[in-house]
Amino acid sequence: MKALAASIEEVFREASARWTLVAYFALSSLFILVFAAAVNLDIVDGALAGARLFGRSIDLGGRSVDVDQLVLGFESGFSGFLYLVGTFLALFATAHLVPRLQEKGTIDLYLSRPVGRAPLLLSRYLAGLLLAAANLVYLIGAMWLIVVWKTRVLHPRFLLSGVVILFTFAALLAFAFLVGVVTSSTGVSLMTTYALFFFGAVLAAHDRIAAAVSTDASARSIQALYWVLPKTAELGQATVALVAGKAAPDRLAHFNAAGVYGSTALFALVSLAAASWIFSRKDF
Amino acid sequence: MANPIEAQGLRKLYRSRLGGRTVAALDGLDLRVEPGEVFGLLGPNGAGKTTTVKILLGLTLPTSGSARLLGLPAADPASRRRVGYLPEGHRFPGYLTARQTLGIFGRMSGMDATALRARTGALLERVRLERWADVRVRKFSKGMTQRLGLAAALVHDPEVLLLDEPTDGVDPVGRREIRDLLQEEAARGKAILVNSHLLSEIELTCGRVAVLRQGRVAAEGSIEALTAKTSRYRLVATGVDESLLAAFRETGATVERVNGHFDLGARDLDHLNALVDRLRASGGRLQELTPVRSSLEDVFVGLVREGAEKEGGRS
Repeated sequence: MKALAASIEEVFREASARWTLVAYFALSSLFILVFAAAVNLDIVDGALAGARLFGRSIDLGGRSVDVDQLVLGFESGFSGFLYLVGTFLALFATAHLVPRLQEKGTIDLYLSRPVGRAPLLLSRYLAGLLLAAANLVYLIGAMWLIVVWKTRVLHPRFLLSGVVILFTFAALLAFAFLVGVVTSSTGVSLMTTYALFFFGAVLAAHDRIAAAVSTDASARSIQALYWVLPKTAELGQATVALVAGKAAPDRLAHFNAAGVYGSTALFALVSLAAASWIFSRKDF
Repeated sequence: MANPIEAQGLRKLYRSRLGGRTVAALDGLDLRVEPGEVFGLLGPNGAGKTTTVKILLGLTLPTSGSARLLGLPAADPASRRRVGYLPEGHRFPGYLTARQTLGIFGRMSGMDATALRARTGALLERVRLERWADVRVRKFSKGMTQRLGLAAALVHDPEVLLLDEPTDGVDPVGRREIRDLLQEEAARGKAILVNSHLLSEIELTCGRVAVLRQGRVAAEGSIEALTAKTSRYRLVATGVDESLLAAFRETGATVERVNGHFDLGARDLDHLNALVDRLRASGGRLQELTPVRSSLEDVFVGLVREGAEKEGGRS
């Protein structure tokens, strides 16, 4: 346990000493600042002041909208954007963890200690998740506080978006680890994981793609791929639905299904198990 | 009690990337290092020294044979609990200070924080890095990094030390200090395996060596025993003329006149005695006959050349 805690600590020390983490938190800070500036615009201030004076509703193009609902709608919509930004930033900040560990002259130092290879790899994975979680708490927490401060509307479901983002990131990081173990390349790990993200999103239209292909075998392959790969588009929609809660439109409700989470979690477990298996048998 | 370091019939085959050619990095290697011994592993590039060390540490898996550290199979991470390793060309994270480096790697070896704090200061002092304890490793010279590597290998007070080129990049004074430190550790009962190209260092540090050639042990023994195998003698005698020297050469001996004595090469002891008989028979008088001890380098180069000739003869 001491050994694994030391391994995690080392990742955090590295992260704090390198520009990648600085850039990770700086970009998050930039988003927070832009967001704070946007909600501080005169038009927003005016609308909110009006709402405070004349009740809890705002006139939007002749339609009266309740402030609570407006905030809820904004937060759920914005969580979809955060899903994309949060996942991409987290991957960018952590994809190097395995390739750097496997560098010549470095890997010997770690493997010569009485730590199993799989636990060593998993400690790096856990460290990556903790790093991403810390940043998500910062990014989403700061935005939530800005909204609360500006609107006086307390809507904690917005914070749940961080859980889905972290879940999606965990699945993608497992794949990045697998590619990292095999190739020892940060660039390849990043490129293939981003490609997986987009491919998974395209497969959200699997039924339409399968109907369009010419053979049954191709259609079955498309369906199989859909169920094997992480559901990145569905998870994005699920983030929005989770934040919206009961107010979520019906078209989003089914994205929060067990199948979406279960198949993505299975993909992550298989990727991580394969990464551990290959790492344990690799000659250095 | 189990030997600290033991390898039996180790074989390691590497297959080329396309799966065609197979290269044997190790071909049935046997090795044993006793407690309190500094053992040197020598050999030309590609002889299998690094592969041996990597198998002992579980960094590389053997194709066949067994490797054990302190009685435990090398593949078992627990076997490395009492083992310290200094790899060649190691790269400690540059963003850590010397103290943090020992802290991280000490804890990875299972040390608790209290024991580690006490050990770190003493160890940094021992490798003369106490003034640099809180400086980031990226600022260190090569020699300082090497000394930090040695401290990291020793941080958990291991019973077995595996050192790959321990004096690489270290100045002469530092080399002397490292040699002394290794001798002290050996005197405390530690088993130390040193893998180095610097034969003079090995000669000064190790009690026993093994010379690897093409994945096998070509020679093994104490440095004294290995360097004592000689066929050259220093001869001082009177009444030696050119005709006698020619007669010596006819028997296959080599003989050169060097600064008032003769450098004599004989095949074996019988041949040497025959040459002495010949000297006496021709009226000469023997004043001194001393075996010329080979250096470890002579032995090493001789073994490597012998191997290359055998290889050439086969092909």
